[in-house]
Amino acid sequence: MTEFYRQYLAVAVFVLAAFLMVGAMLGVARLLRPKVPQDEKYITYESGSDPLPLFGQMNVRYYIYALLFVIFDVEAVFIFPWAVNVEGLGWFGLVEMSAFVAVLLLGLAYVWRKGLLRWA
Amino acid sequence: MLSAATVHIATPAFDWHAFAPDLVLVATMVVVLVADLLLPDRESWRTSSIAAVGLLGALVPIATLVHSGHDRNLFNGAYVVDHYALALKAFFIIATYITVLLSVDYIREGDYYKGEFYFLLLVSTFGMSIMASSRDLISLFVALETISIPTFVLATFRKHDRASNEAGVKYYLIGVLSSALMLYGMSLIYGVTGATKLSDIAAYMSQHGTVPLVAVAMFLSLVGFAFKVSAVPFHFWAPDTYEGAPTPVTAFLSVASKAGGFVALINIVYFGFFLPNGRAADSWWPVLWVLAALSMTLGNLVALRQTNIVRMLAYSSVAQGGFMLVPFAAAGIAGADGHPGKAAAAMSAVVIYLLIYGAMNLGAFAVVIAVARRTRSAEISSYDGLWEIAPGLAVVMGIFLASLAGVPFFAGWFAKFVMFRAIIDAGTGWAIALGIIAAVNSVIAFFYYARPIRAMIFHAPTTEDRTPIVIPQPLFAAIALTVSVVVVVGIYPQVFARVGELAF
Amino acid sequence: MSALAYPDHITATYYLVLAAILFTIGAVGLLVRKNTLVMFMCIELMLNAANLTFVSFANALNDISGQVIVFFTLVVAAAEVAVGLAIIVAIFRRRQSVNADDVDLLKG
Repeated sequence: MTEFYRQYLAVAVFVLAAFLMVGAMLGVARLLRPKVPQDEKYITYESGSDPLPLFGQMNVRYYIYALLFVIFDVEAVFIFPWAVNVEGLGWFGLVEMSAFVAVLLLGLAYVWRKGLLRWA
Repeated sequence: MLSAATVHIATPAFDWHAFAPDLVLVATMVVVLVADLLLPDRESWRTSSIAAVGLLGALVPIATLVHSGHDRNLFNGAYVVDHYALALKAFFIIATYITVLLSVDYIREGDYYKGEFYFLLLVSTFGMSIMASSRDLISLFVALETISIPTFVLATFRKHDRASNEAGVKYYLIGVLSSALMLYGMSLIYGVTGATKLSDIAAYMSQHGTVPLVAVAMFLSLVGFAFKVSAVPFHFWAPDTYEGAPTPVTAFLSVASKAGGFVALINIVYFGFFLPNGRAADSWWPVLWVLAALSMTLGNLVALRQTNIVRMLAYSSVAQGGFMLVPFAAAGIAGADGHPGKAAAAMSAVVIYLLIYGAMNLGAFAVVIAVARRTRSAEISSYDGLWEIAPGLAVVMGIFLASLAGVPFFAGWFAKFVMFRAIIDAGTGWAIALGIIAAVNSVIAFFYYARPIRAMIFHAPTTEDRTPIVIPQPLFAAIALTVSVVVVVGIYPQVFARVGELAF
Repeated sequence: MSALAYPDHITATYYLVLAAILFTIGAVGLLVRKNTLVMFMCIELMLNAANLTFVSFANALNDISGQVIVFFTLVVAAAEVAVGLAIIVAIFRRRQSVNADDVDLLKG
């Protein structure tokens, strides 16, 4: 057996142990506990409001927020490498990055002006 | 300012002059967006004037760059501003300018977002301008996406119309699929050659020839581009998208965005896969040969059966795309034969065809928009008796259709001429076979281009309404501009022949 | 064959084969599935397969440009998804407005 497989053997042992442990705990509990079935016990929350069905329709507004988040979030990918090298890149880098962020801010201004940030 | 201990990363020498056309476009984009935010809704159509001025302004640095005369290489040759790039930049900017002229009244009178429309047009044009100069896989990909993504939105611009929604979804899915195919192809090319710059890729391949994995990669990339230029069998999105999108957008898609795809194809194939000695051409010209033959034949045959003029023009643009691929394939054949000079001539034939096609197709769409202002219809039957109602429009439409068909002494004739000259120059059996297919298709094309002409002259008008069609000034300017190009180039083809020579 | 059976370490080949498989799953899914959202996911899968290929080649070639491409691809993919979902939302809203009566009834 190669070194490669030997390293993964440890992982396999861990996985097996995890399954055995959970199985043993649930199995022992099942053997020991008294069994009194009641309908209320099958509700997710025994008090409070009923949970919504899993695939219910969401308000379409959530999508807009998600989209805005995705766009602005991903742009950060360009800022990280710059931030790491900010001193080496000097003024040129700073000006370039300011231009980049200014364009992003323009996008934000657009979103704000068109009223998409308001939850109506 | 910085302490002496910091590591200095060499800041690239920045040639502002070379970037000036692109920077003017970016500045225009920003101004349009800000103006749209500041103007009240009623006035936001005025952003069209800003866009138009900005586009014309971008032509100024192009002129000074042409005047300065020498090629500029930026980023170690990843971004090149030579005459080829400048000619295409000018073409893209003028095509967008004409699109703006077509759109002003169409967009103002409809229930559209106005400022955003011009903003998106400008973003797409900016992508094209970058595309013309990029000689690197990264910038090619980003430029192509900058062209495509705004056009997805533009195709859906009639937000409340089901056809427009469908047009957008289809165009979007096909467009994104083609970028994925292309990107995967590019990743394999990068893996084999270890380079992203097209000149490095060419250098690698001239040493090692085409290894099998590169052939696969080329095939994937070519399929991706075939989607973008709507070549058969990857054309099926085009008619639906063209019909569903607002008509000025259709004009833009069928000319500017298609040309963008073609320029991407020229860049990657000619500067990347084509070598000084033409050795690798064997591995891609058969693909282009098949695409050209299929696009011409199928595009024409289906166009024959259309009753809607926009759909007819859509299939006609598929067929015209096929004609443009003919000299492309011829360039590959000539290159593989060991005649790089002939191959370069054939490539400039592609560029000439592209420029002429742009003028005549934009013009035809301008007339369609003008006629639809009155008839509210795009059926060919709505052209019945146009000769009696609006003789001027009928004549102009006749000129555009005749030019598209390739009737002598209109620009389209010269486009066909350079195409056949490239075929004859290449001269092998495969080239001649493609030439024969092209010749047969040119004849078939006459039949469907003649149908609207027949309807305009020989059919009686369907309405009694004889009031003249009012053409707004911008639309009139667009028609005048395109028709003069078509006529002048038809009579003095040297004008564009020179442009083609500058290119390669 | 023996290299597959007893690998000493994960080579670039493994990543490339995984990427090819992912790309194929995406391509097939795009052709087979009818749901637009699932089709979006398939396209994302294809783009990420290309990314994986770029990164593993960059690692094997010891060259940074393959990783730089991934940055750009990520951003382009995000822009594409934003536009695609926006188109879907537009269609969804339009459908909803067709059934406006029903919505009003439920509001009470």
